[in-house]
Amino acid sequence: MRNEKKGNKTGMFIFLCIILFIISFVGGVIFKLVYDPFHGKYKVNWTDEVGKIYSDISYGELESNKFDLYVPSDNSKESYGLIVYLHAGGFRTGDKKDDADTLKYYVSKGYVTAGINYTLNTDDNPQYNIKTMSEEIKKAIPIVVNKAKEFGYNIDEMTIAGGSAGGCLALIYAYRDAKEAPVPVRMVFEGVGPSSFYPEDWKSYGLDKDSKAAADIFSYMTGKKITEDMFGTKEYDELIKDVSALLWVDENTVPTVMAYGKHDIFQPYEGSVRLDEALTAAGVDHKYFVLEHSGHGLQNDTKEYMKYLDTVEEYLNKYMPVK
Amino acid sequence: MFTKKRVAILGIVVLVGFYLGALATRAIINLMIGGTLFGGNFL
Repeated sequence: MRNEKKGNKTGMFIFLCIILFIISFVGGVIFKLVYDPFHGKYKVNWTDEVGKIYSDISYGELESNKFDLYVPSDNSKESYGLIVYLHAGGFRTGDKKDDADTLKYYVSKGYVTAGINYTLNTDDNPQYNIKTMSEEIKKAIPIVVNKAKEFGYNIDEMTIAGGSAGGCLALIYAYRDAKEAPVPVRMVFEGVGPSSFYPEDWKSYGLDKDSKAAADIFSYMTGKKITEDMFGTKEYDELIKDVSALLWVDENTVPTVMAYGKHDIFQPYEGSVRLDEALTAAGVDHKYFVLEHSGHGLQNDTKEYMKYLDTVEEYLNKYMPVK
Repeated sequence: MFTKKRVAILGIVVLVGFYLGALATRAIINLMIGGTLFGGNFL
């Protein structure tokens, strides 16, 4: 009888252990999904006192040629710095609204900000590539500056930024098009944007071993006919120059803050090493953050990611301080 | 039923369960395009 009672108690205890394990496991999952490691540091509680949003302003004939302008509520200053943030999405998806929190955050710091949509490469629009997208951005920015002025915000300098595909386009604008910008481009900041297109770097796609596939993919990205025999030649560099920020780096390149994940399989980490080396060789003031445990989402190195964001603010204070 | 030893075991079970839940989620997120799904602001 006593042994039977003891056995029941042990059974109950094991059952309790299993139930508690399941509850704790689910708790761990929920915690990981909802926990904000930044504790809201880079977000702002958006109210009319912070700023105002002008949505879907057109800069071209296409439905995709739209931008959102975020302005601070204080419009009393003589001039403002503009931060353009370009959205991610692998050149095939994404929207300017994806970066609303980022755009609002920099408005709270005193900047005018803009998110610009560009025409994506889709099954219905296969003719759009990085070059056409970069040209749309180039076309949009003077219109963004003019619109801001219409709303009472005189823009006298700018910073361009973005993530992934948006990072790629931001780098292209900053390095290739800055000379033609309507206002001086003071700096660029971006995360995980591809800046070069050398097959040996793109190992995760097998392009280091398959020249035909590399030629096809890079032809799509550039909108130019690239063949296998061109790799490693000057002709190839000339063909990709329009979409490769790396090839525009020189001593006049604007200050740059960038972050990359060491385990990125969507765009190669190796490309960012090339960019860092080129910026160093050219003597460009830049900060290069390597997130050792992260992939394309920069998802596993919170402290380093915060350092990146804090450095962006340091650079903004240095190169484009709020008046 | 709740001896000190069993309370300690329950505590360990809770901690291990919580840790494994968080770890499993991290692993799944790492598989999902390196955390770029859901805007990349998942963690």
